[in-house]
Amino acid sequence: MRIKGKKHRFQAVSGLASFSFLSWLTVAAILLLWFLVTAAGWVSAFVLPSPANLWSEFQVLVANGYAGKTLSEHILASLFRTFTGLGLGIALGVPLGLLMGYSRIAHAILGPIFSFLRPIPPIAFIPLMILYFGIGEFSKVALIFLAALYYVVLNSSAGVRTVPQDLLRAGLNLGLSRAKLFSKVVFWAALPHIMTGIKTATAISWAIVVAAELIAAQAGLGFMVMDATTFFRVPNVYLGIIIIGLIGVALETVTVAIDRKLLHWMGR
Amino acid sequence: MKNSTDAPGASRKVKISLAGVGRVFQPTSKRSSPVVALKGVNGEVFEEEIVGLLGPSGCGKTTLLNLIAGFDRQDEGEIIVAGKKVERPGPDRMVVFQFPALFAWLTVWENVVFGPKERGENQKEYEPRARSLLESVGLKGREHDYPYQLSGGMKQRVQLARALLNQPEVLLMDEPFGALDSQTRSQMQELLHDVWALYHPTILLVTHDAEEALFLCHRIYVMDCQGEIRETIHVPFPFPRKFDLIGSTDFAHLKYTLLSALRAEEEKPDCHKQVGEKTQEGGAI
Repeated sequence: MRIKGKKHRFQAVSGLASFSFLSWLTVAAILLLWFLVTAAGWVSAFVLPSPANLWSEFQVLVANGYAGKTLSEHILASLFRTFTGLGLGIALGVPLGLLMGYSRIAHAILGPIFSFLRPIPPIAFIPLMILYFGIGEFSKVALIFLAALYYVVLNSSAGVRTVPQDLLRAGLNLGLSRAKLFSKVVFWAALPHIMTGIKTATAISWAIVVAAELIAAQAGLGFMVMDATTFFRVPNVYLGIIIIGLIGVALETVTVAIDRKLLHWMGR
Repeated sequence: MKNSTDAPGASRKVKISLAGVGRVFQPTSKRSSPVVALKGVNGEVFEEEIVGLLGPSGCGKTTLLNLIAGFDRQDEGEIIVAGKKVERPGPDRMVVFQFPALFAWLTVWENVVFGPKERGENQKEYEPRARSLLESVGLKGREHDYPYQLSGGMKQRVQLARALLNQPEVLLMDEPFGALDSQTRSQMQELLHDVWALYHPTILLVTHDAEEALFLCHRIYVMDCQGEIRETIHVPFPFPRKFDLIGSTDFAHLKYTLLSALRAEEEKPDCHKQVGEKTQEGGAI
């Protein structure tokens, strides 16, 4: 049986490798299509710059920066807002979610707030955040914090509430106190859900920081895209979008790797 | 280690004593009515005895086991295990669950030593015992595996070893082999007897399988649909019992008697009454 388990994993990994070849093929096809469309002149170079043109614009951007700030300053500005808001959201969201899942009283008290927030997209709070906290760093970090908090709390509390009853009974049966039952059984059994919350919150945070910067910021990738649009600097719009996308993919890769590492015992 | 292999005599200590145990589940909605799960259950399990609790599904077998385990409280009567009134769950009454309640994030070894380790017991004392227990249930060499790497039968072996390491007064087994395929089930039944021959645990075994009860138990309590114990059957076959036993005429005859009693019970109109039990039980740990 052990051999079978190992074999399954091996197959999954090798299977993934052969499919990732297909993914690279997609990327290559899109680049090729882009090249052909622009080389043939089917669309105006103003609307869609050619790959070569964009590459040279990228080098200019790296060398000169944008709107008085270097490219890395823009990237770091966005990343700083994301990680500050996300970090605070996780730090508060996990304990709060666990509490809501464990205590019916806490669930009853906090439940309505989260039920109300459920249908509201986080970016709908951008105007209020600006009204409350101005257009500085704090309003953006606060917005990301709220969005991250929401996803982490919701998943963590669901994780606790779906712990199988027999697992709790097994813990009590083995002589665990209520406190130890929580730290040794409930937390671990809820960890897959907690990690889902963290992964979702990370992806959402990155999307929201860009949205927040579109509206009010003096730095950041969202600011760059918005500002370049205003001044018809189309290559910079494309470059901003591509960098946002690539960083998003990188964040996803990192969170998935952490998830795999922490939850290796699920045998996925 | 004792050499006795036969059914315990009257001189043995009483490990589980049930006196007038009753349990009524209150309705979960306005439309349903209270369900009497157990009514005036009396009985005892002697030291080193394997006693089966057999009955049609929904007759209250698992309810009784949960009461003895301390997961639930009875409305009437008294449950005494090894001289102590049952009030809460504890390692003196270890449960082997039907669906293995193993901690998926811990290895086989960590699962087995979990109880004594978390209670801060002496590592030098329980670790050698854990090693020999793992060997007797056939898990030597699998200590570092995680539960997802184990088959259903293997998981039940881990549960058995984990339970026995706590040196419980009684072992409470709830349909422990019910979710296994018939081949594995019969292997596990023999394994349970091998383990019993080594450690002589007192076992209360809940099952709906007459053949399993006859093969494994010294004595069988047959429950009826009213949540009462209807009769007690002494199983005369000597230990250690081997697989061949189930082919013998005596075994077949006793099995026929038992199955007839169960069938008669199943056909009564008020059987299978406890549809609402699961939902209410869900609340209490």
